[in-house]
Amino acid sequence: MKRMVARIAVYATASLVSLVFVYPFLWMLISSFRTQSAILSAPLRLWPERFDLTAFYSIGQIGGDPLGRFVVNSVVITLAATLFGVCATGLGAYALYRRPNLPLFASVRYGFLLTIMYPNMMLVIPLYFVVYHLGLLGSYAGIILSVSQVPLTFFVFVQFFRTIPREIIEAANVDGASEWAIFSRIVLPIARPVVATATLIAFLLNWKQWLPVVVLSTTSDSYTLPVALISLNSEYGINFQATMALATLTVLPVVVLFLITQRRVMDGIVAGAVKG
Amino acid sequence: MIALAAATHDAWRHRALYVYLLPFALLTAVFGLWPIAEGIRVAFLDSSTALGEAPDYVGLANFRSVLGDPAFVSSLWRTLLFTAISVVLNLVLALALALLLAHPLLVRGRALFKLAMFLPIITPEVATFIVWKWMFNQDFGVVNRLLTDIGLPAFAGLTTPLGAFITLVIVEAWHHIGLYTLIFLTNFQLLDPNLDEAAQIDGASRWQRLLRIKLPQLRPAITINTVYALIEFLKTFTVVFVVTRGGPNFSTNFISYDAYSLFATGAYGEAAAIATVLFALVFGLAATAYWAMERDAT
Repeated sequence: MKRMVARIAVYATASLVSLVFVYPFLWMLISSFRTQSAILSAPLRLWPERFDLTAFYSIGQIGGDPLGRFVVNSVVITLAATLFGVCATGLGAYALYRRPNLPLFASVRYGFLLTIMYPNMMLVIPLYFVVYHLGLLGSYAGIILSVSQVPLTFFVFVQFFRTIPREIIEAANVDGASEWAIFSRIVLPIARPVVATATLIAFLLNWKQWLPVVVLSTTSDSYTLPVALISLNSEYGINFQATMALATLTVLPVVVLFLITQRRVMDGIVAGAVKG
Repeated sequence: MIALAAATHDAWRHRALYVYLLPFALLTAVFGLWPIAEGIRVAFLDSSTALGEAPDYVGLANFRSVLGDPAFVSSLWRTLLFTAISVVLNLVLALALALLLAHPLLVRGRALFKLAMFLPIITPEVATFIVWKWMFNQDFGVVNRLLTDIGLPAFAGLTTPLGAFITLVIVEAWHHIGLYTLIFLTNFQLLDPNLDEAAQIDGASRWQRLLRIKLPQLRPAITINTVYALIEFLKTFTVVFVVTRGGPNFSTNFISYDAYSLFATGAYGEAAAIATVLFALVFGLAATAYWAMERDAT
């Protein structure tokens, strides 16, 4: 009996805590379907009176730009940065794992560790100067290259490479296999899961990016969904319902992706964070 | 000479690896190291000439002007206070949540609870912070409605300096705590069950076992979480930008937001000087925390 009470208490606490984490998402979703006056009178309601889609129609145009542009920008920038970043980071981590003692390799490693210690928010200000010198201000290339390196994925890769028994590679080396053969025939086939994990994590984290996009854009032409949301938040702060609708659109893709891939993402991020 | 020849030979033999490393090295150099160097250089330039052809070097003038600016000095103390409160609060709560999730009576649904906690980490914080901003709104907000419904006094939220500060502590904790909790949970799996059993047999109370047996074994997670949380909270920015814009009355003007405000008005030199100071601060504090905890461990 006492055990039963204890169990109920544990479950109740865990549920309550989970509710605190999930509730903002629920409120956002419900509020995007409710009228302003309805929310004013009953903010806590857990189900909309009716599904009012006005807000979703109203964000078809944001500050004179079609919503579609922000969606396309988000998808293009996130995908390009993710693909390029995962390839560069994966290959780089592999090279550093294979022969950490080659000339210059240690400098690259230390250089990388130094950059991740610099607060990334603060890096954006000098990044503006660099991208300005490169002549890439306002371009997709400038934004994509600036966000493509996701440090966490480096540690995800490093951790995976450590699990490959050195003997396998040494044996191939003795047999006279080229570096390319070792990489493509031995490492790549077993690396598929880690590549998938790194890609997912990079995608989720790149989708969130907003400050580099704000700072490196010269017009709203290269704005992504989070940035559109910020301008909606500051310019039309009063249009609460539209803000909730756009927030829902910004959050929904990553929530769905996360719910499909949950364990892979959580384990990857935690392992990368712990081992990094 | 021979060593150099050997190194060159070795490098040539593994030239393929250099090709693999090249994109990563370039990204690190161009979009990591160059901005850091550039940030430090700009900190010594006159703002109006910083982006021009012939920049004016002004020595430590930017640092002097920043350190003499009461807005910056107060933002520095405010950031340190916010960081101290947040690090302690997040670590204690994360440990409590991890203990809850690892509770033996919680057999099913653990994955679901973990999922809920992790959701804020992977969702765009711009969106979730905006939602929180509205949840704390006095007219619309669910927070006040909930408080008054259960008979508690209303919370002033974002309208008073103290309320805004507390709001940011809460929202930031909501955003970060899931990761710290999961890091604690991974550490739990490495605990030695024999020690706990032995202590139980010796008649140690639950608290004694937690403090004397579990906590010392959780040192790796505590170290990692402290260093992460320190870095994370020292550079708190997005939540300020989205929710309070530094106000009311500068009560949430943290260092990074102060730097950004200067940058946005074209005071590049001063902004870069603050960035450099913050970098030194983050680096120094994180290194000290790491060193202190590692030293204690041995």
